[in-house]
Amino acid sequence: MQILIYILKRILQSIPLLIIVSILSFFIIRLSPVDPLAELRLNPSVSKETLQKETERLGLDKPIIVQYGKWASSFLRGDLGITSNGEQVSTKLKERIPNTLLLAVVVIFMTWIVGVPLGVLAALKWKSPLDRVLTVLTSIGMAIPSFFFAVLLLLFAVKTGWFPVGGLTSSNFAEMSFGGKIWDLVHHLVLPVTVLFTISLASLQRQMRANLLDVLDSDYVKFAKAKGLSEFKVVYKHALRNAINPMITLLGFEFAGLLSGAALTEYVFQYPGLGRLILEAVLRSDINLVMASLMMGAIMLILGNLIADILLIITDPRIRVKGGAA
Amino acid sequence: MKKWVYVVLVLVICGLFLKACVHRDYPETEKTHTSVQNDVEYVNFPPSQKTVTINGVEYLQSQAPIGKFGGEIHASTIGEGPKTFNPFNSKDNISSLMSDVMYDGLLSTDAQTGEPIPKLAKSFEVNGNNYIIKLRKGAKWSDGKEITADDVVFTWQNIIFDGYGNTSTRDSLVIDGQLPTVQKIDKYTVKFSTIKPFAPFIRMLSTPIAPKHIFEPAVKKGKDYFYTFLSTNTDPKTFVTSGAFRLKEYVPAQRVVFERNPNYYIINKNNQKLPYLDRLVYFIVGDLNNEVLKFEGGEIDVINLQGANVARFKEREAHSDYKIYNLGPNTGTMFLSMNLNDRKNKDGKFYVNPIKQSWFRDVNFRLACDYAIDRKNMVLNIANGLGEPLYTAESLNSIFLNKKLEPYPKSTEKAKEYLKKSGFVWDKKGHLLDKSGNHVEFDLFTNAGNTEREAIGVMVKQDLEDLGMKVNFKPVEFNTLVNKLVNTLDWDMVIMGLTGSPLEPNGGKNVWMSDGTLHMFNQRLEGDENSRRFDWEKEIDEMYTKGALATSFEERKKYYDEYQRIAYEQKPFIYIYSPIIITAIRTKFKNIFPSSLTGITYNLEEIYIDK
Repeated sequence: MQILIYILKRILQSIPLLIIVSILSFFIIRLSPVDPLAELRLNPSVSKETLQKETERLGLDKPIIVQYGKWASSFLRGDLGITSNGEQVSTKLKERIPNTLLLAVVVIFMTWIVGVPLGVLAALKWKSPLDRVLTVLTSIGMAIPSFFFAVLLLLFAVKTGWFPVGGLTSSNFAEMSFGGKIWDLVHHLVLPVTVLFTISLASLQRQMRANLLDVLDSDYVKFAKAKGLSEFKVVYKHALRNAINPMITLLGFEFAGLLSGAALTEYVFQYPGLGRLILEAVLRSDINLVMASLMMGAIMLILGNLIADILLIITDPRIRVKGGAA
Repeated sequence: MKKWVYVVLVLVICGLFLKACVHRDYPETEKTHTSVQNDVEYVNFPPSQKTVTINGVEYLQSQAPIGKFGGEIHASTIGEGPKTFNPFNSKDNISSLMSDVMYDGLLSTDAQTGEPIPKLAKSFEVNGNNYIIKLRKGAKWSDGKEITADDVVFTWQNIIFDGYGNTSTRDSLVIDGQLPTVQKIDKYTVKFSTIKPFAPFIRMLSTPIAPKHIFEPAVKKGKDYFYTFLSTNTDPKTFVTSGAFRLKEYVPAQRVVFERNPNYYIINKNNQKLPYLDRLVYFIVGDLNNEVLKFEGGEIDVINLQGANVARFKEREAHSDYKIYNLGPNTGTMFLSMNLNDRKNKDGKFYVNPIKQSWFRDVNFRLACDYAIDRKNMVLNIANGLGEPLYTAESLNSIFLNKKLEPYPKSTEKAKEYLKKSGFVWDKKGHLLDKSGNHVEFDLFTNAGNTEREAIGVMVKQDLEDLGMKVNFKPVEFNTLVNKLVNTLDWDMVIMGLTGSPLEPNGGKNVWMSDGTLHMFNQRLEGDENSRRFDWEKEIDEMYTKGALATSFEERKKYYDEYQRIAYEQKPFIYIYSPIIITAIRTKFKNIFPSSLTGITYNLEEIYIDK
């Protein structure tokens, strides 16, 4: 019950935040000197009448306040409007969301499955050669710019011919058997996942290592050890549980990043995800599309934090007590 | 001791990465441009396609060598992919390309001569201002319905003339406030009439024809609905086409897949229905580099090459599975322009500072700038030798090009002579001063991010500074630049590029007519339409008007030659160069007849695979 009230409170708190975010982004986009019709204006075969009609259709002849009002009222009614090419924004987003989710979920799953155990391992074998090697490797992982790494891998794919050069599916994807489709997807996903995995693995592993080291150094762990508890019990039952808390907050942020995509990596690999769509939309000031994606990002961030906080309440009794008191 | 090992480990790994970059940059810069400078090669075109009647159906018969059926060709488009599949809504090249694959027009262009030839039409006849079009009996849409005069009349009357979709075609056809008329004579005959003879109209007849039974319901729902009709969300199965291919699948941001139209009206010499290829796939790639990688990786079969890539691919051509074709200069024109505007804006301020006006509006000053520019050097250094210096307003592959206008080399002496004629002098330090003693200093704009134009800007700046001018070169964001050029008009000099048509100069009307929407060098905004004009502006207006109304090619050529001469003498645009199109295509594709007018894959139905 208490949790429900807490969630409700948080949701109410986020409403003004969303309004501010929407106003800020709308005005920033509209006040930037990007003219959605610039390409058309420089095309000798486009007539004055066509330009005039386009201006009216996109509502560019009205004051920004009116444009914002129109956008906001249709947004509240659940209508995201149409893109500057006349397609429904919602369909456009729906085309890309599964692709981005696929990439993000695979990457997050893999980094957590590999990163957390490696972090624990490094903390337990602190200052051993294994720890040192891991440190060097993760430093490299953090230091390589994703863009650069992606380009290198792409060149690798071209030279060896082992992997497809970008994209998500082959041209005869529609005719493949179910197994063939899965294999095709995996084949296309290997390189982008490798890039994103390498980069996020590093920070996750180091975070986990630092957390666990902190906890292992604390008095109650020393006490538990002194009391004669087995090493296994000390680490996995007591220390790990406390070390994992900051990681949950991190997970909340990762959740927010699920849909905002890795635009640079997507761009290099020509991955048909949201990041690339939004990048292109921003470049031509496609207001409805940009706004929809920004709002989506904001909502995901709020949701992610909320989920993290709820998980924390569940895992950490201290917060539960404080929350109840407040 | 241990630490030492780690340091070495890190160094080795870094070294490996560095090695990867260094290795790639080296050999490319050493290559010379000479290996690529092969001339446009002679292409042995097959005889023109002709109409043959089989079982009462009037097919168009390809005269190209007979090929094998099957296989697919993979091409690519750069950017976001098509924005619509409705040929009447398309405003960008990629969307137009997609609809050209799917919908044929009545006429098309001969790849060799550039003359209009019948395509969906069996024949056409021009009598002054009347155009009689005969259709093919028994030609079918991809769903099996016959293509008749009703479809043609519907397309022209109910879609184009009634102003659905992109109305640019319609707007360019208004003569003395009136549109042409279209009339059905019988099931297979249509008559178009223009108010006066209007030569550009014949080219407009290559506009796609829409299937009435599919488009009519959409047209009835009004213009707003029509705008979303056949958008990229449409189910591919609902497309009914007349072209060689029909849409099979569109995967956003990845590819567009077309499959052969089983009812196509073009046959080969064995009377088998074309096209040979089962499929045509366009990959949607984000940028040039990715396209090159995809070609190298064998994922695409045909590519336009640019810059350093040409030399790289040319070198490997002999041991590879592709062939490189030089299609000659394209329709793109790169130019330097000055703002000749002498009007005031709404606040009563001059768009251009009156001191600068006196320079830019002086033809001697413009000629001096023209002679100071080293076009050859730019072609060699910026376009890697893959360009042709340009001196005329029509592009070099245009059938209306005025060949009497001679190229000339850079000459600082001549440039200085022209400046002296107008009373410019140099001070002791070599700075250029005008008659009244003002330092000649101005801004030169171009759009930032376009590396080619930025490079041209740097070289133009150097060339002009040799004359003692001070040039502030300012690349600005594309949108800002367009806004300057068409709205605020507060610019001095600009480097821009425009594309034209090699077949129809009338397309440049918006640029050259003194009240045009893109009459950049002397843009008249609303309210200024009747302001003072240069005499030569009036002459160009006259040539453009007369050129459009004249009917025979020779007569039209006279007028367009004259406009090019005026532009050549008055230099409102100082043309710099046209890039050369270099295309590579895998050798397994046969029946390739590249043409500078229509490209390399215009005869998609005739192309086949032979290993």
